[in-house]
Order: sequence, then C-alpha cells, then structure tokens
Amino acid sequence: MKTIAETWPLLKGDYTVGNPKSRIAVVTLASQIKPSPEAALWGSSKTENLGVEKIIVNAISNSNIRYILVCGMESRGHLAGHSLLAIHAEGIDEKGRIVGSEGAIPFIENISREAVERFQQQVVLFDKIGLIDLVEIMKIVRKYEGLGEAYPDEPFVATSQKKRRSTFTVPISGDIIISEDFFMDTTSGVVCQAKDF
Amino acid sequence: MFKFQKEQEIVNLAGVKIGGQPGELPTVLAGTIFYDKHEIVEDAARGLFDRAAAEKLINLQEASAEETGSPHIIHIFGTTPEGITHYIDFVSEISEAPFLIDSPEGAVRSHAAEYVSEVGLADKAIYNSINMSINASEIEALALSDIDSSIILGFNAMDSSLQGRMEMLENGAGLLEEGLLSIADRCGIVNKLIDPSITPMGNGAGIALKMTITAKAKWGHPTGSGIHNAPSAWNWLNRKKEKDPVLYKICDIGSTCLQQAAAGDFILYGPIEYAPYVFPMAAMSDIMISEAVADLDIEPVARHPVNLLV
Repeated sequence: MKTIAETWPLLKGDYTVGNPKSRIAVVTLASQIKPSPEAALWGSSKTENLGVEKIIVNAISNSNIRYILVCGMESRGHLAGHSLLAIHAEGIDEKGRIVGSEGAIPFIENISREAVERFQQQVVLFDKIGLIDLVEIMKIVRKYEGLGEAYPDEPFVATSQKKRRSTFTVPISGDIIISEDFFMDTTSGVVCQAKDF
Repeated sequence: MFKFQKEQEIVNLAGVKIGGQPGELPTVLAGTIFYDKHEIVEDAARGLFDRAAAEKLINLQEASAEETGSPHIIHIFGTTPEGITHYIDFVSEISEAPFLIDSPEGAVRSHAAEYVSEVGLADKAIYNSINMSINASEIEALALSDIDSSIILGFNAMDSSLQGRMEMLENGAGLLEEGLLSIADRCGIVNKLIDPSITPMGNGAGIALKMTITAKAKWGHPTGSGIHNAPSAWNWLNRKKEKDPVLYKICDIGSTCLQQAAAGDFILYGPIEYAPYVFPMAAMSDIMISEAVADLDIEPVARHPVNLLV
C-alpha cells in the first residue's frame, strides 16, 4: 500500500522535510528550533487558520506520520498550538469554526470535514506547548520516530479549494473613469469603452 | 490610472488627511514600532525598551515624512495592557503624529482604547482593528471609548474571495450577525479606514488589491493595507533572505508601489527602520500616479511629492 502522496508535502511552508517514513512530525509554533532529519516534517506554525490547515494537509497525505509534537512558544492572540489541539479534539462546526479554540479567527476554509476527521484518526498530538529545549524535544522524537505502524489507509490528498475560481461577470457599470473614452467596472474588473454603457 | 465615479471621502486624523481620488493626496505611511522581536524592546510584557533608540526611529520616520511630503502615522504594536500603555505614553510624548493601537489580543486593544480615552489621546488614536474576531466585550469597550477612527479589516477566514471579503464588511458573510461596517457604526467609528486584509501569496494576497479598488468604488472610504505582509510571509523569499538580505528588502519595500497602483490611500509598511527607503519609494509612485490622472481633473495638494520633489 502506498503511504506517501506523490507530491508530498503538498503545501509549502516554513518547515524542513526530514525522513518521510518517520512516524513523527514536529510543530514548533512561534519558535525557530533547529530541525532534525529524524522527524518527517519540522517547522513553525503561527496562525490559527491557514497554519492549522497546512499541518493537517501535509500530515494526512503521509500515512507514516502517526504523532505530532506541538512545542515551542505559542503565538500570542492567534493561539496556533491551542487551535491545532482543539481541532484534533473537537473538530469544526457547521461554519468551519474550530470547536473550542480561543484563537482570534479559528476558521478552516480550504479543507473538508473528511480531511479533519482523517487527521483526528491518523495522528496523536503531544501537547508540549512552551517546550523549547532541543534535548527534551529530541528525546520525544527519538522515542516515537519508529514506533508503531503506518496508518492503514492510503494517503489522503486534501486538495485546496482556494485555487483560481472564475467569477467573471459582464460589466454593467463604469464606476471608475480611466479617460474620456474608457471606463472600468470594478465588479467585473473589465475596462470598457464609454459607448458600451 | 483612473478616477472613481463615487465621491471619495477624505478623513482628517489629528491633522493627517487620508483618502480622496488617486493622485490627490500623498499616500499616508505607517511604520511599526515595538513589533514582535523588535531589537529595541527589552521586555514586551512590561513595555520596557531602549527609549533613545525608539526616539531615533520615530524621528527617522518624521524626517522622511517631512522631506517627501508623505504624512506619517506611528503603528504601535503591544501584546499586554501594561506594555501598550507604556508605548502609547512614550509615542505621544515624542511625536504629534496620530498612532495606530494594535495587538493580536482583543483584551489589549480594549485596554488601549480605554486608556487613550482616559488620558485625552483618543483623537490621535486609530484602532487596529475591527475584524471578524470582535466579540461583545470588545465592541462594548470600543463603544464606551472616545475613539472615532478605526481600521476595518476585510479578512474572511471562510471565504477569501473578493465577494467573501466584501460581505464580511457588508453583512457579516453569514459568520457574524451584522457586517463590520455596521459594528463600526455602533462603536462610534466615524473615520472608517478599510483594510482588505493581506493574506499570504497563494491564499489571495492579490485579491486584496482588487478589493482596494472595489471598496473605494462602493463606499468611498479611505482604503489601504499592510501589503508588505505578503512578501514577508513568502517562504521562498524568506529562504533567500539569509543569502541576500537586500533582495528581501527590495520585495518588502517594493510591495508598497503595488498597493499605491491599486488606489491605496494608506500603507502599513512594517518595521519603522525602513522609513528612509519606503518614503521615497512611495513618493515616486505618488508622483507618477498624480501625473497619470492630471487629465482627469484631479489636483494634487500643495504638499504632494509631485509639488515637492520634481
């Protein structure tokens, strides 16, 4: 069975890729902590919405990842770490809000409820928010990097829905004057000749 | 370049005018001080910092504004009530310029609103920001304060499209019971500064540029953003930064021009240290925009870079 999506990690971010077969990934929140290749992914996450989405997408597209160590200093106000723990524990409500998160704007826009459920099932989170001691972090990484089996299902590719959506509309007004002869309709973003209106 | 058919509002914040048609007023520039990891900050929680260095930075921005004609605002960032109180005291002692009160925490923003009202500085303060995270206690604190100027953020975490952002301001986009513009009215905000919200590139940074034009066309309020947040959140550029810091600065500072070309009236340009580079960059754009709309019956004000620097 394939355990890693072809283009993994699917979303770019402030992280480094280590051993893709490692069972553990490390999220250092607002801290920059020297990465170790023994973890599958190692990087920061500062936001309670897009940051959380990236972690979920990149974790569930590699079935080898079964543990995520959440460490480093929390990002004030955003509470990215707290929000990651909350979505894992409680999921999202019908509006996409992370249940139980006290982060400023804890909403999920680009991934499905199924992706969140897969994340809940595939990984165990270790709440070590505040831990920045590399020695302590590495103890945990080494304990879990080869522990247990891969998740018994194919990698889940949670494709982003954010890519270009055409909302083209026919211009109906000219609310921006470019010159005597040309106008622009801001709704459609189309530049038109004055005689068109 | 272009002219809006809708009348464009000009607000006066403690002597600084923001808004109008493209090419009419110089772009207002706000540099951030006491930001996260700012080297002059010694203890962010208690608001302790190197006062001489902070004064030098504020003077740097003031001198850049004076030379180019682009008015300035001091963007104060604080993370605790105690910290932001000290910062506000200091900035208002050093400068007559209006200032933004900004924090990632609603409780800190609420405290700052209350504090500036108590000490008589509310007419110089701009709240940053009314956004979709606002709750009843923050609304109450802002309504009870004397603040009447605020940035209103078009961030929509569930729908980053142009429509999603516009609806957040207009009707709450199904996530809030009312739109942020209506909430601003309830809070006594007269001077509404629209910020279309700079999300990372790949998550709709460019949509914010389109929204700048759309928001001005629809409401006529002054509109602008912290556009440098797009390059600063760009992981590819950040990896280049170590090898070539100049490259990073060029993109960070250069993003100013994009927001200006998209009719931005004000820009939160990031670290105040960049003032000597950002102000000339913005002045260059203002001059060209002003020349581009000269045939649209738009007259630049006397202290516009086009009248001072060329």
